[in-house]
Amino acid sequence: MLELKNVVKSYKMKGVRKRILNDVSFQFPEGRNVAIMGKNGAGKSTLMRLLAGIEQPDRGRVLRDTRTSWPMGFSGGFNGSMTGLENVRFVARLYGQDTEAVIDYVKNFTDLGDSLRLPIKTYSSGMKARLAFGLSMAIDFNCYLIDEITAVGDKSFRLRSKEVFQDKLSHASVVMISHSISTIREYCDCGVFLKDGDLYYFSDIEDLICVYQDEMGA
Amino acid sequence: MSMTSGLNLIALQMRVVATLVLRETRASFGTSSIGYLWAVITPAVSVGLLFFIFTMIDRQAPYGDSLALFFATGILTIEFFNKLSHTLMATFDANKALLTYPLIKETDALFARLILISATYLVIMVLFYLCLYAAGMADLPAHPEKTLAAFLAIMALGFGFGIVNAVIASLWESWNQIEKILTRPLIFISGVFYVPSRLPSQATDILWWNPVVHLVEWVREGFYPNYNSSVFTPEYPLFLAMILILVGLGSERLFRKRRN
Repeated sequence: MLELKNVVKSYKMKGVRKRILNDVSFQFPEGRNVAIMGKNGAGKSTLMRLLAGIEQPDRGRVLRDTRTSWPMGFSGGFNGSMTGLENVRFVARLYGQDTEAVIDYVKNFTDLGDSLRLPIKTYSSGMKARLAFGLSMAIDFNCYLIDEITAVGDKSFRLRSKEVFQDKLSHASVVMISHSISTIREYCDCGVFLKDGDLYYFSDIEDLICVYQDEMGA
Repeated sequence: MSMTSGLNLIALQMRVVATLVLRETRASFGTSSIGYLWAVITPAVSVGLLFFIFTMIDRQAPYGDSLALFFATGILTIEFFNKLSHTLMATFDANKALLTYPLIKETDALFARLILISATYLVIMVLFYLCLYAAGMADLPAHPEKTLAAFLAIMALGFGFGIVNAVIASLWESWNQIEKILTRPLIFISGVFYVPSRLPSQATDILWWNPVVHLVEWVREGFYPNYNSSVFTPEYPLFLAMILILVGLGSERLFRKRRN
């Protein structure tokens, strides 16, 4: 379940107030993979952060399942002075998963080896991204939030990531932001268009892509 | 909301808080057991130092036979209270990164710190008083139930002050420094070195308003068989604690959006 109820969100920058969402109510369709599209600066990432609960709406409410992921590719939740393993253990406990099973999975998947015993602050950004991705795959989310799939790791890691993720999508859904129309076509079957503080829903992904291309061309 | 989903939510909340307690333990004491040992040693050194100074100048215990026990009842109480109040004040700053995980609310971090610090001080106090007992410098508490009630009262008041501090500090950064200055004289006005009941009434009339005096007196009422404090009013710190906790949690909710 993912739902916006009368959500208002705006930003004030240098005295200019920018409305991202203007009293929007929208229930994300259950079990479908939803694309979020819009021009640059329309507020797609802000919408994602609202859905994830990292930001609070100015008014209204965001309802979400306890098994909605954090925005993937986002590794801001790691504590730098704790080791990779400690961070993994923390998140596994938080989501009530079998800690050892999650650790095994992450070890196998990320190939980080002994680095897992080192504090996160010693990691390169690539290592952090691999850990974050591996961890989100180890936990049974039923909805994944993805803000632009960014490729991490070498070719074999990317292939493996894609395989695992496709497998996850057989029993979980996804809400995704992407500028790449081919990625959107690959993963999503419906979507919303964000424009001037309003959300427009398209139950057929091709309709959304048409509107998006019109907007970009105009 | 159905009954089962309500129970599930409570179970979820307990799991989140328990997870945070483990994380906080790791963050405050490090990975080695030495870290935890320090937490026990630090207050022991304060009591030891006072004991040493007062023995050197050949002073009698203000009450009872044991100088060490008398000071311990005052110092450990104040340290526990201060630790809660100070550590909770820093909660919102220290835990920003945790809000990435939507399961965690800031109040969970407050509860986690309350639990960790209280458990730590329970261990510190039991160890410390047992050592005094073993060294023949103290008797076991004459009224154990009162001592336990006193511990819970310190917990409640420290929690109340801590949340309110946390909310003020999140809105006004200077509060971190101001609070430290304001609580500095606590050790002098809370009856650590003297028996409040024996002060002239002009003094006790003012001291009475310091809630921590009542906590120190509460602990002593528990330890000594006939302490009979004339200052001690248990309702005052409890009432204050309740108000502060309600105001603190209420304003946390009210100002949550302003913080992030």
